[in-house]
Amino acid sequence: MTVSTFILKNALRNKRRALLSISSVAVSLFLLVTLQVALRELTLPPQSAGAELRVAVRNKISLTNPLPVRQRGVIEKIPGVEAVTPFTWFGGKYKGEEGMSFAQFAMDAEKLHSVFGEAKMNGDGYEKFNATKDACVLGKITADKYHLKVGDQITLDSTVYPGSLSFHIAGIYAGTPDDRNMLFRQDYLDESIGVPGYVGMWWLKVKSADDMAPVIKAINAAFQNTSAEVRAESERNFQLGFISMLGNIKTLIASISTVVVFTLVLVTASTMSMAVRERFRELAILKALGFRRRELFAFILAESFGLAVVGALLGIGGAYCLYTFGNIGKMTAGIFVSFEVTPRIMGVAALVAALLGIISAVAPSLSVARMSVVNGLKTLD
Amino acid sequence: MALPLTYNFRNVLVRWRATLATILGIGLVVAVFVLVQALAVGLEKSASNTGDPRNIMIVRKGSTAESTSMVSLAQLQIIRYWEQIARNEAGVPLVSADVITLISQPRIDGRGEANVSVRGLTPVGMALRPQVKLISGRWFTPGKREVAVSQKMARRFAGFHVGDSFRTAGNTLTVVGEFDGSNSAFDSEVWMDADETRSLFDRQNYSSLLVRAASPQAGQEIVSRIEADKRLPLLAGPEVKYYGDQTATAMPIKILGNFLATAMSIGAVFAAMNTMYASVGSRTREIGTLRVLGFRRRTILAGFIIEGALLAAIGGVVGCLLALPLHGVSTGTMSFNSFSETVFEFRITPWLAAKGMIFAVVVGIIGSLLPAIRASRLPVITALKSV
Repeated sequence: MTVSTFILKNALRNKRRALLSISSVAVSLFLLVTLQVALRELTLPPQSAGAELRVAVRNKISLTNPLPVRQRGVIEKIPGVEAVTPFTWFGGKYKGEEGMSFAQFAMDAEKLHSVFGEAKMNGDGYEKFNATKDACVLGKITADKYHLKVGDQITLDSTVYPGSLSFHIAGIYAGTPDDRNMLFRQDYLDESIGVPGYVGMWWLKVKSADDMAPVIKAINAAFQNTSAEVRAESERNFQLGFISMLGNIKTLIASISTVVVFTLVLVTASTMSMAVRERFRELAILKALGFRRRELFAFILAESFGLAVVGALLGIGGAYCLYTFGNIGKMTAGIFVSFEVTPRIMGVAALVAALLGIISAVAPSLSVARMSVVNGLKTLD
Repeated sequence: MALPLTYNFRNVLVRWRATLATILGIGLVVAVFVLVQALAVGLEKSASNTGDPRNIMIVRKGSTAESTSMVSLAQLQIIRYWEQIARNEAGVPLVSADVITLISQPRIDGRGEANVSVRGLTPVGMALRPQVKLISGRWFTPGKREVAVSQKMARRFAGFHVGDSFRTAGNTLTVVGEFDGSNSAFDSEVWMDADETRSLFDRQNYSSLLVRAASPQAGQEIVSRIEADKRLPLLAGPEVKYYGDQTATAMPIKILGNFLATAMSIGAVFAAMNTMYASVGSRTREIGTLRVLGFRRRTILAGFIIEGALLAAIGGVVGCLLALPLHGVSTGTMSFNSFSETVFEFRITPWLAAKGMIFAVVVGIIGSLLPAIRASRLPVITALKSV
């Protein structure tokens, strides 16, 4: 019998316990990975292509305060600006649903491609959006959810403006980080609510990455001390602003992760102690045969490490498979769209598992090291 | 029948190390379960604490939040002198026309900004919300750019304490008072004079009306009168109901809580099983002895299940005790309804604690079921022979 088969035999002598230990490690690591991914999604939203050239301009008071249409001409004249479009929240509810299930924004039809060019649309979606006033383009996820196709009509009840509006779907887009939104034409919205002269916010594209900082600075300065001061910022910073609004939810998830890890250590260490105590007598015999303390420690360590690693493989691998191949949008009722298990998160979880294997081996090894051979041989338990 | 129970109970104490780990493990799971649910309860509580049963809230039809609602001056004039609306001693109708606007403010820790609800209102509006009490400083003076801030918001945002000032819409506002909203939705607000709010934020219209009905009968009449009047595209209803409906924000937290409870309880069941199997395994001889003494299989089965349940129940108590210090601690997140910061407290109600206990006991029973069956099925002779 080689050393490795000895360790393997020991680990599996009580198959039920080995299985239970592995399962509890697996479940806990699955949970840990899930929480870490959720935390990452909340704190670091997916980056879209073209984001490094986009600037969001909102009212300095807050995002919910509108901006006057007259600002457009000023922004367009700023050097380095390639295209500008209004972007107005419509807050529509679909078919008498309780809440809003997808976001809708009004914008300039001809600016869709230049500002949000990463949206891929089949057929003549862009042309039709340009040509028809009541046209809209819809994200693929939402279209699939409601079984909508190009040419269909949809009606939305706005929670922001009085009344409701009907649209014809000109195209269905995909390829953005969040293919759920609906975009329609600002001129259609203006017409229906009596041209109020206000838009929600501005989105613009700069010519190159070098233009970003000067353009942001110029826009912020341009409207200082006017009736509508603005806050211009990169798409990234704009998204981070949303995350800041989530407040203490981040702390909550981080604390729960800590508790999960702690519980895991506690339970696994206790199981390992139980497993070792059960064979105190055998370990005493090994000692009597001349095995040294560090060799006994190696046996115990290898066993607990092995159990932890198998558990980790199952838990982390399970989470990876579920979130990579499963439909996360459906599972979380649309709260998360992507749920990416990054190598970094898997690495952290694997590290937790490795440490767990080592820590769990320490306490039983210490008691084995301390026991005298005679006492060990006398043990009945 | 009495013996196995004392026997099981003593066993819990004798094998203290494994027992302690199991109890703590279950305790932590229960603590997480109770705390996450306590958040959802706190959010719902803050909604249900808001509102006076005599008040009627009027908003624009179709709006889902006060901040996106709109009531014009003309609409206010139609409603103001209705006889169904109560009046104060001076004969002024108890109608509060409020302006709600959101301002983006930096957090106190300097990590980012969040939207804060500012409510512009009149002394009548304050009289209609008696649960809001001034706790330091003074109320704002009408006609001045002064605000009073909820104490809970003052702890979360920069420049919100009495004596501080902050800039918004190109103007400086001075904080002159802090109030306490008695755990209502008003704890998430900043209050200032209605007309100052309208001028500062360039608003033609009001956001919502709050009126005091002269009687419950009159309240219903106001609702149906608004419903019937074609000039008024408004929606009226009891203030209590309006806030009661605003609990959608609690949904994601509930989902998180249920997910955590499910995943963690599976882990806890495995851990409890391990402990119980080990304790059954090391007591094989004792179990054999009990059987020889005449105890029946089902008595032993029940004994072990009760042992597991007892263990878990202690864990449940530990969990509730661990969670308890957070009761009443306030926290905040963005409300999906109002799109602004909502503060609320962890609220551990007796019912919630009981749910935590039930949860623990269920985990204990499931975890000890298989080991108990194994214990009760041990053949007497083999059991006695084992060392």
